[in-house]
Formats: sequence, C-alpha cells, structure tokens
Amino acid sequence: MAQTHLKLTVADRADAPPATGGARSDGGGRPFWTVRRRDNLVGYLFVAPQLIGSALFVLLPLGLVGWYSLHEWNVLAGTFEFVGGENYDKLLADANLREVLAGTALFSVGLVVFNLSLALVLAVLLNQRLRGTAFFRTLFFSPVVVSLVAWTIVWQFLLQADGGINGLLGVAGIDGPNWLRGEGTAMLSVIIVQVLKNVGLNMVLFLAALQGVPAQLYEAAELDGAGAWTRFRRITVPLISPTILLTSIITVVGSLQVFAQIAVLTQGGPGMSTTVLIYYLYQQAFQFHHFGYGATLSALLFVIVALLTVVQWRMRRKWVFHEA
Amino acid sequence: MKREMSVRLKTVLYGLLCVLCVPFVFPTWWMVTSSLKPIQEIFAFPPRLLPETWDFSAYRQVFELQPFAEQYVNSLYIALIVTVGTMAVAAMAGYAFARIRFPGQNALFLVVLLGLLIPSEVTIVPLFQMVHTLGLTNTHWPLIVVPILGAPSVLATFIMRQFFIALPGELEEAARVDGLGRFGTFYRVALPLARPALGAVAIFTFLHSWNLYLEPIVYLSSPEMFTLPQALTQFVDAYGGPMWNVQLAAATMTALPILVVFVLAQRQFVEGLAHTGLKG
Amino acid sequence: MKPFGKLAALALATLLTATACGGANEAAPAKQGPQPLRMTIWTSNEAHLKLFNEIAAEYRKTHPNVGEITFDPIPFENYTTTLTTQIAGGNPPDLAWILESSAPDFVSSGALLPLDDTLRKAQGYEFDDLTPSATKLWQAEGKLYAYPFSTSPFGVFVNTDLLKKAGQKTPDEMIKDGRWTWEEVAAQNAAVAAKTGKAGMVVRDFDYKNWDNLASVWSGWGARAWSEDGRTCGFDSPEMVEAMTFLHKSIFTDKAFPGPGTTPDFFAGDSAMTITQISRASLLTDATFGWDLVPLPAGPKGEYSVIGQAGLGVFAKSPNAAVAADFLAFFTDPANSAKLAAYFPPPRASQLTTETLAKSNPLLKPDQLEKVVIDGIRKGVVKPNHTGQAELSQTVRAALDPLWQPGADAKAVLAGVCAKIQPMLGA
Repeated sequence: MAQTHLKLTVADRADAPPATGGARSDGGGRPFWTVRRRDNLVGYLFVAPQLIGSALFVLLPLGLVGWYSLHEWNVLAGTFEFVGGENYDKLLADANLREVLAGTALFSVGLVVFNLSLALVLAVLLNQRLRGTAFFRTLFFSPVVVSLVAWTIVWQFLLQADGGINGLLGVAGIDGPNWLRGEGTAMLSVIIVQVLKNVGLNMVLFLAALQGVPAQLYEAAELDGAGAWTRFRRITVPLISPTILLTSIITVVGSLQVFAQIAVLTQGGPGMSTTVLIYYLYQQAFQFHHFGYGATLSALLFVIVALLTVVQWRMRRKWVFHEA
Repeated sequence: MKREMSVRLKTVLYGLLCVLCVPFVFPTWWMVTSSLKPIQEIFAFPPRLLPETWDFSAYRQVFELQPFAEQYVNSLYIALIVTVGTMAVAAMAGYAFARIRFPGQNALFLVVLLGLLIPSEVTIVPLFQMVHTLGLTNTHWPLIVVPILGAPSVLATFIMRQFFIALPGELEEAARVDGLGRFGTFYRVALPLARPALGAVAIFTFLHSWNLYLEPIVYLSSPEMFTLPQALTQFVDAYGGPMWNVQLAAATMTALPILVVFVLAQRQFVEGLAHTGLKG
Repeated sequence: MKPFGKLAALALATLLTATACGGANEAAPAKQGPQPLRMTIWTSNEAHLKLFNEIAAEYRKTHPNVGEITFDPIPFENYTTTLTTQIAGGNPPDLAWILESSAPDFVSSGALLPLDDTLRKAQGYEFDDLTPSATKLWQAEGKLYAYPFSTSPFGVFVNTDLLKKAGQKTPDEMIKDGRWTWEEVAAQNAAVAAKTGKAGMVVRDFDYKNWDNLASVWSGWGARAWSEDGRTCGFDSPEMVEAMTFLHKSIFTDKAFPGPGTTPDFFAGDSAMTITQISRASLLTDATFGWDLVPLPAGPKGEYSVIGQAGLGVFAKSPNAAVAADFLAFFTDPANSAKLAAYFPPPRASQLTTETLAKSNPLLKPDQLEKVVIDGIRKGVVKPNHTGQAELSQTVRAALDPLWQPGADAKAVLAGVCAKIQPMLGA
C-alpha cells in the first residue's frame, strides 16, 4: 500500500508541471527549465503509464488478494462478508490441496526437464554445419505461433482413445492407452503438449547462446584430446549456463500459469491428477464461486512464485559460470 | 567447425531432425486435413493422411454456430491495440529507465519489475472484482487496458530497457548537438534503432493477447463478445458433445493465417526474439 | 514526437474512459420507453427458437411497454457457470432456464423472484393444474421460484436394425417376455458389440464425467447419490455398490457399454441403444435405421423411472423483474404450454395425455408416449441435485474417476466418494 502511495504521488507530480511548462524560456539568466529539470519531467512522463498501470493492475490487486482472502462473497445472493482467517483455516485443512500441490510440482518439474533438454538437443542439432537447418528451425518453432487453444484442441483430438495417435500406433501394431483418461498418461500428455508448443522459444534462445561460444575453445579442447561429450559438458554447458538459468526461470514461472491446456485437455482429471494450482484456483473462484477462497489460493500462488524466483536467482551465484 | 562431416554423420543428423520434427508438424497437418473430412471419416481406422472425400461443410457450420467473423474481429483488434499500446508504453518506460536520470529511478524500476514476479493469474480474482465494480464485465476493456498497462507489459519494458542500455551514448550526444530535445532524441534517434527490440516486443505481445484464455472466459459471457480461443471451445452440440470437424475447421482458420505470416517472416521472428534482451 | 504523445494520451484516456464508462453503466437502469427482455437458454435448436420468438412476438402485440425479447443461447456444457458469471458481473438476464442440478442453489439463494402471485393472478392460467411432483424441486418455504417448463423422463432409444443384425430380439418382444431387465439388456448390447463392431449401450452425455446421468441406471437398484434430505452420502450403500459393480463389469468385462474416451453416437447409427431424455427424439427425424423408444429396463428393485427437469425463473434484481414475470405467465399459460409441449413435456396435469403429447410429438407412437413419458413422469425420481452442486459434482467426478479403469475396486472407490463428499453434505 505504501508503494502505491509513492507511485501515485510520482504520477501527480508528473502530471502537474505541463501547466506551467508553457512558460519555459531560455532567455533569462537562470531559466527554470534547466536540462536536468526537463529531463526529470520527461523521465517521469515516460514511466508514468507503466507506473500507473503497475499500481492499478499489479499492486492494488495484489493488496486486494489479501483483503478478499479475508472475505466470502456469495454471487447468487449478492452478499460480501468479513470472515477473518476462515479461508486460511480452510487452506490448511484442505485435503485436496496436498494433491494439487503435488500435481503442480510434478507438472513443473516434468515440464522444465522435458522442455530444457529437448530445447538443448534441438539447438545443438541446429547448430551443426548442415544445409537446411533454417528450414528445420522454422518447423520446430512453428507451434509457438499457433494459437494456444487451437493447438490444444488438435492434441485433444489426437489423444482420444480412437484418435490419431492411437491410430498411428495401431498401424504399428501397438494398442495405445487411453491417454487423457489414465492417471499417469494424462499428466504426461499435458506436459508433452505444452513442451511441443513452446520448446521452440527456448531452442532459439539456446541457439543464440551456442553461437556465442567462441570456436577457439572447442579447437583447443580438441587438441587436448577431449571427446564431443566432454567438450559439451566442460565448455558448452558452463558457457551457456546464464541462458539455462534464464530459460529455466521463464519455464518454471510459465508452468505455474498453464491453464488453457488443462481446461481443454483434462479439466483437471482423471481424479485430481492434473488439477494444478492455477486450475484449482479457477475452479474454486469461478466455478464453485468461493471467491474468498480463490483469493487465498492466489496468495499461495504468489508466495510460491516469489520463493521460486528468489531461489533461482540465488542459485545463479553457485552454478552459473559467468554473467554475459 | 572445421573438418567436413562424414556422410554417415550427416545422414544420422538429418534422420534425427526429420524424426524429431514429426510431432511438431503432424498436429497442424492433422488439424487441416481432418477439418476437411466428413464426420464419419474423422475417427476412421487406419488413419488417412488425406480425406477420402473432401468436405468443406464444417467451414460453413463454423459461421452458422457462432458469430465467428465477429469473434475473429474481436481477437484481431484487441491483439492489435494491445500490441501497439504495449510497444508505446514499454518503449517510453524502457527508454526512461535506461537513458534518463531522474530521482527515484531505481526504486521505481524495482516497483515495475515486481510485475514480472506476479503472473496475472495471481490477481485474476481481484481484477475480476474491480472490473465487475466498474461495470465492465462482458466488455473488451479489461482485455485491452490491463495487458497494456499491467503485468504483461512489464516484460516488454524490461526488454526495451535492456536494449536502450546497450545503445552507444554518442548517438544521443550527436542528436543533442543537432538541437533535438529529449522527445526528439527518443523519437528520431533511439526509437528507429530499437526496431529489432520493438519487433520482438510486438511478436511477444501479439501472441500473448491472441492466446489469452483465462481472462476472456472470466470476463466475457456473450458469444458476440468472445475472442477466438474462447470461441474454439464452444463448438459443441447442444448437450456438450464436441463437434470435431467444426472445431478443427475453426482452429484451422485461427491458426493458419498467423502460421503463414510466420513462415514468410520467420527470420525476423526467430532472430528478433533471440537477439533482444532475453539473450541472457 | 507526436505519435507517441498521442499514444500515451490514448493509453491514459483509455484508462479514464474505462472508469467513466463504469459510472455511466451503473446509472443506466432508469431507461425510458419499451423495456427489452433477455432470457438465457441452452438450446440453439432452430425449431425451439422459432417457437419462442413466435410466442414473444405475440406477447409484444398486446404489451407495447415491452421492447425486444431476446433468447440468448449458452452452450449446455458450461451453462450454469456462464450464467452465474453474468450475475456476478452485474449483467444478469431478466429470465433464465435453470438446470435441475442447480435448482437448490438458485431457489435457496434469493436470487429469483417468487412467482406464485403473478401466476395465480394471470387470467386463465389454471395455476393448480401444475402437478406437485413437477413443482416440488422449485419451491422453498411454500413459494414457487421457477416454472418447471420441462419435465423430461429418461428412456431407451433402440436401434432395431442393429439388434436384428446381431440376432437379438426387439425390445417389444423382450418386454412381452418380461425380460426387459438390466441383466438381459446388457447381454444384448454385449452381443451387438461383439457381432457388429458397433457400440452397445451409450448413457448419453455421461462421457465418464457427468455422473449424474448414471442415476438412470443405479435407480434400478434403488440406489441414490444422497439421502432425501441431502445430508447423508449414498454412494457407499450396498445398492450403489451392486449397481456400480454391474456397470463396471458391463463396461470392462462384457463390453456392453463403450469404454471411456470413445464417442459413438446413437443418432448417427453407431450404437445399439442409448439412454437419454425423450426430447432427443427430434434427432431421429432423418434416421436411416429402424428405431424404438422404450422405458428403462427393470433393475433388481423392479421398474423405475428417472426424470430431468428444467425451470424458468425471473431474477429478482432485474430492473424489469415485474415485466419479466408477466411475460413468464404468458409464455407458460395453458395455450403456450401446449405449444411448448412439442419439445418439453409440460408440468400441467391436463396436458399430460397421449392426445396432447401425440399432437406435438409426431415421431413418437401413442404407446411410447404412454409408457415412457406419462408413466415416467408419474413415477420418476429427479436426477441428483443439491446446494453447492458445482463443487459437489466436481468432487464426485474426481472421486469416481478411479472406477473407470479395468480392475477397479468398486466398493473402495465408492467409499472414497463418500469420504470426500460427506463433509460437504453434512455442512
């Protein structure tokens, strides 16, 4: 809240001067509008939209998450009541929540592992001196620009028990599982669909990083008799470690926002196996109309994202070879 | 790097690339071809790569079952406004944070950065209630204003700041000598140089808005206001059974145009994203 | 410089207008002139809409104070969620169809306008013609909160061609022999699946998610989702365990029901039988196969019937609530009720006759109407409903999921369902 105030005053100040701004003149001995003052004004004006936006649509709602989590709102009856810590008691006692958090963790870890390793493999392949890598790069990147829900719907169609994937498997004589209805396969399906959709982004970032690794290092290592794997492990990985860290942060935080895929593919099922935190939040708030409890879950989600980011930035010191 | 690769290694690498690209390409192929299959062919076994009989009726049904043209326009205009708006907001803020010195700059930048930490999903409940209090549910306002000014634009500001920081100071000096003010320097000198970064921001922002799903389903409740992602999930018969070929036809129409633009301009797309700010 | 100044100004102006618009919208209700009405529905069937529009047009002839009446179709799948979002967003319709499953939520919330006074006062309405069994679900403390415009029994549609192909007897013959029981019917369907490669029995709309449709099966064993007062879980009762064990065996061992994740459509000729509400008969207009409509097979507890209901209510908060209620009285008066009966079995005792129903259901034979519709409504139990239905329904769905695997332990799964929902019911 204090921060909101700070920013609002800044915004006020930024808005006020133009009224007198018309009087600026360079004629006198000590003009009011010195370069520094003018710069200050322009600076505040330039950041004003972003700051006002942050105050209104980031900080204020964040404060409200806390406020609403102390209330219960009944949509049908139109009542809004203060309930104190009731929603937090519910959070601690919620038997589903453990399952939800375990599912969320599994999803995030699976996603990061699959995504980063596939991205790295693709980037290394595309970094070889081969003709036509640009063509393959285009193909691998193309799902990134396909509308998310369209992509998910196609996969939902492909993953039906009698859908395309099992059709292809059937041609090969394999009796495919019922992907979206099995406890294990549902989570796997959601992860793979999401990895294929977005791995192109990480691939491109890795590719750029790989191209920044000086070729002499490899040559020197080769003279020392280092094999391909050793070179990869000792030279490539350390040198692109800042990119690995960055992509892992983006991917982990992104994994906590995966909603549409779950809503379309599994609706959180079977059982609760693919009900990740954001989907559970949506269910509680917008399907069951426990808005207060939804806000409480939002607070939890925020704490998790904040903790993860802090941990990852801390890790940077430990294992990132050097900062670019 | 130096020596020519052996033919065997090349074959292996090409083979690997070809196998790996199947799961990336096949879904799009399957989407397009299945949308042209009559309904009884859609789950046929063994699966066929092309329709046996070509049936375009699903494309007609898309427009009969939903105000699909309106929904298309909704998505398109929202994404365009959000893209232009975000570019403006982020370019200005990024420039100011990178190149102008003013009191409180760092503290303010930290405040803005907080937005990176708070996915917009975290604040969806209070945002919904704010929008509700303003009487703006079932309008496009929250889908336009919040992304331009709120958390989603913070990443864009960050990218722009990283870019402007790397800009050589002499260019601005020269502009000043030529008598340009701050605005002039920004608009005439810095901004044209920032084209690659702006391109990346534009692509990111457009795709983000184009893909938005949670927000529209929370805010919008009548079909003529829907955006495409939301509309795609509504092609069900009156009792909730999916109408696959119609759904796939709608998905094809949503995905293909962007895909074509991407293929035509893929260099700018991919390299723009790789070489701006996010490089690490 | 200019374009960016403009853009910045635009961004700010956007924000301010947004705020200003909000104010303007909230001040809106006090409009002059004819009042438009909006009614949310979950059908987008053209014939239905045509009839509604005709009734609306007729009403407006005599009521110049009413503006346009729009019927706003929302897909069935997320109907209640969308409707509640509209209400939460301060954009409620004036009238709305309400599903039986969410009836207790709506009736008890106070969101709906009590209708008794308006309906009793309406000329020629014959309020007492409404059968108590139809209105029961929609009442609280003696007041009627929604009009049960559709009371639709579940029946079994049968593809007689497929049965013949598999060398099975027709349902008529089975009924005559007294063999129209779940055991026999499951065997028939297993035979069809084995011999023709098509699917057997499809519980329409269940799709291994919407479990409340299974009431059309388990009621034959005398099982219930929860007790009459809604306070005790019924999933772990011996009747339910027996019914679900039967169902599980029929699905996974005998293959009489298609398994999860497959989508055979009876009305496209892909399955031998389907359990659904009779309003689906309209899908058979262009059927290319022989079909019949018969009552649900008898369970161990004998013959039974299950009905789905839909109500029509007026939102108390609507600025046009009084007008909307008056329109509702017109929409459902004896004359219009008879017209609506073409698609939606009416709650009026006087209209529940083979003659009235036959006029409006040309696809169905008098015998079918008598046995499935009229008897069904007389004896039927309503599909499960409870306050907090959305959460309850989702919880049961998740807890039942493990049952839809080969080799599942029905008893353990069902005990698990009760463990999850009993705290919600007891509250």
